[in-house]
Amino acid sequence: MKNWKKLLAIGTSITMAISMAACGGSSKDSTKKNEKGTTISFWNSFTGSDGDMLVELVDRFNKENQDGITVEMDISPDFDSQLSTAFAANTGPTFILSSSVARFTYGDHMQDLSDIFEKTDLKKEDFIQSYLDYCSEGDMLYFVPFQVVGDYMYWNKDLFQEAGLDPETPPATWEEMKNYAQKITNENKNVYGLGISYESSYQVARILQRFGGLAVTEENGIWKANFAGNKGYEKFLTNYKELLHNGDNPVEADTDSMMSAGQIGITLGGPWVTAGLDSAGINYGISLVPQGEAGDMNPVEVIGFSVTTIASEKEKEAAYKFIEWWNKENEEGSSPALEWSLANGFPAYTYSVQEKDSYKQNEKLKVMSSTNPDAPSDFIVDTSFEGIGQIINDVIPEIMNSVAFEDTAIPEILEKAQAKTDKILEQYN
Amino acid sequence: MKKMIQYWNHPSRSAYLFLAPSVILLILFSVIPLVIAFGLSLFDVSITMDTAKFIGFHNFIEAFQDSRFTNSLKVTAIFTGLEVPIQVLGALVIAALITKNNKRNKIFRGIYFLPVICSATAIGIMWRMILHSNIGFITAVLQSMGFGKINFLNTPGLTIFVVAFLSIWRSFGISAIIYVTAIQQVSRSFYEAAEIDGAGKILQFFHITAPSIRPTFWYILMTRFAGALQIFDIIYITTNGGPNYTTESTVTYIYSRAFSSNSNMGYASAMSVILFVIIMAVTVLMYRRMNKEG
Repeated sequence: MKNWKKLLAIGTSITMAISMAACGGSSKDSTKKNEKGTTISFWNSFTGSDGDMLVELVDRFNKENQDGITVEMDISPDFDSQLSTAFAANTGPTFILSSSVARFTYGDHMQDLSDIFEKTDLKKEDFIQSYLDYCSEGDMLYFVPFQVVGDYMYWNKDLFQEAGLDPETPPATWEEMKNYAQKITNENKNVYGLGISYESSYQVARILQRFGGLAVTEENGIWKANFAGNKGYEKFLTNYKELLHNGDNPVEADTDSMMSAGQIGITLGGPWVTAGLDSAGINYGISLVPQGEAGDMNPVEVIGFSVTTIASEKEKEAAYKFIEWWNKENEEGSSPALEWSLANGFPAYTYSVQEKDSYKQNEKLKVMSSTNPDAPSDFIVDTSFEGIGQIINDVIPEIMNSVAFEDTAIPEILEKAQAKTDKILEQYN
Repeated sequence: MKKMIQYWNHPSRSAYLFLAPSVILLILFSVIPLVIAFGLSLFDVSITMDTAKFIGFHNFIEAFQDSRFTNSLKVTAIFTGLEVPIQVLGALVIAALITKNNKRNKIFRGIYFLPVICSATAIGIMWRMILHSNIGFITAVLQSMGFGKINFLNTPGLTIFVVAFLSIWRSFGISAIIYVTAIQQVSRSFYEAAEIDGAGKILQFFHITAPSIRPTFWYILMTRFAGALQIFDIIYITTNGGPNYTTESTVTYIYSRAFSSNSNMGYASAMSVILFVIIMAVTVLMYRRMNKEG
């Protein structure tokens, strides 16, 4: 018995040592080659219901493709920390799905994909150019578009009717939106006319941009901040503060749930808002967000496929096959890209999908695709400004928190934002 | 092989084999990351650690000039001041009430322990919905009782209390169970003698139970202190540091600097080192106090 215990201890120690050696001594990349073909790894953060559909589509690719390619997908809510840790250890996936803004963080670990149009049947002219531009830096294409995320306006038709407004006619201007919001608000029923979350910096960034243009622009090779004295920004923030103060917009971070509960008259948000409204049975309409004084803009975030530098040429080719399959029409005239758009309500990034009858017949997608494709798709800063993350995650939240919770005057808030941005710009100028 | 077994087949040597797995894990997942964090704090390092520039103590100087970092220290201190005393003393009171091994107490122990085994994400989402300013159940009930609209998660000055409550609710079960185990170890003869002397339940608690479980009390106090100073998950899910950064704890801010925006591993490591020093100082002081009492 005594010997058995000692043997067990020795065995445990050896097992531990071996397993740790196995952990530490992993190969450079996480991609394996099986007997038939190539196995490639695919990381993303699609943890929602759309993630289930992505799993189904990847499974379908694995079954259908004739090249022996197996895509092993890893969906993680902690995608960023997982990816950065992997890159730091010189390992990682073959390809990823991520916001094209990630090129500023992980650009050194991404391959140029501009040859995808030569090596596959994908046609460059089929992709909406402004979205491709958003995924590029000079001649280098970091991402192939997968999903376009913009903001749209949703309105509750029943609440419009209760307020004596035409349920089929959404506000066409921001002034109208404010007036409608005041009419819809019903304190006794906890109903708010407008629902713009003070915490959603992405949403607010798009609105600010419509009112006062880009927050960071380039002048003679120098980055310049445009917060202080920006009359457009000042106008929106003044109106927003007034709406909060009057109780026409809730002081609430989570406005999507309220919209789905039928407690908000008008809200702005991405295509995912429709899923909540549909499942809650809300009678709603959807339209483009009114343009502000800064002119015609199409501020979007493009999510795309990117192949990492960890991938070998063979693995890159396999990833190209997957991206090609995603966008390729089958015999029935459908494609995973079309299915994705129809199921999840995201507007298409290719003309060929936009031309499909099933797409055209979808009222929501028709509205979402009615944006001017030639309008600049820059998102709050010049597309090539690397510090976009700091503007969205640091500067704009500080502005919105000050507007929502402090008595500071709007021009002063914008001056503070200017000072903070100027400091950020020092890193890039 | 036989020689090796013979060599290790000795009480003083085989002990190392039993210790080895824990020591290896400790070195791999605690000591090495700690040393690396100390090292990184002296560098300007990107998220992917491709480039590293030695900058000495610049990250530390920057941290103390960073208003969000100093605010996060303040928030963490307030949170700890709220969470730890209520948790440590509240769990003790509850434990005293459920010590006896009867059926009712076992059910209560199970109920109190339930949040401990639930994921912080699930708890966070659940409470976010329950306390929602407009569609939350508790908010609606309080409003119907005439308390007006209470915006639990979006009111600076109030939300930190809510977050502290959620943290206590989530983890006091484990403290209570540890207390119960300790109380059950106290010899029955002390209580019998006290009863003969005419001491009531409250006197028995203060003069027998409390002194007897002092080591357990210090253990819970120290672990809760260290845990509260590292609060992250509940805040990250329920308020994400809002409103107006009034619930942004130090670890939440460190996480955002490491992985979200303006990612700088060196700076995040420097802040982690500062927090580590604070936690270590508090723990050492408590440990000394505990030893003195012992």
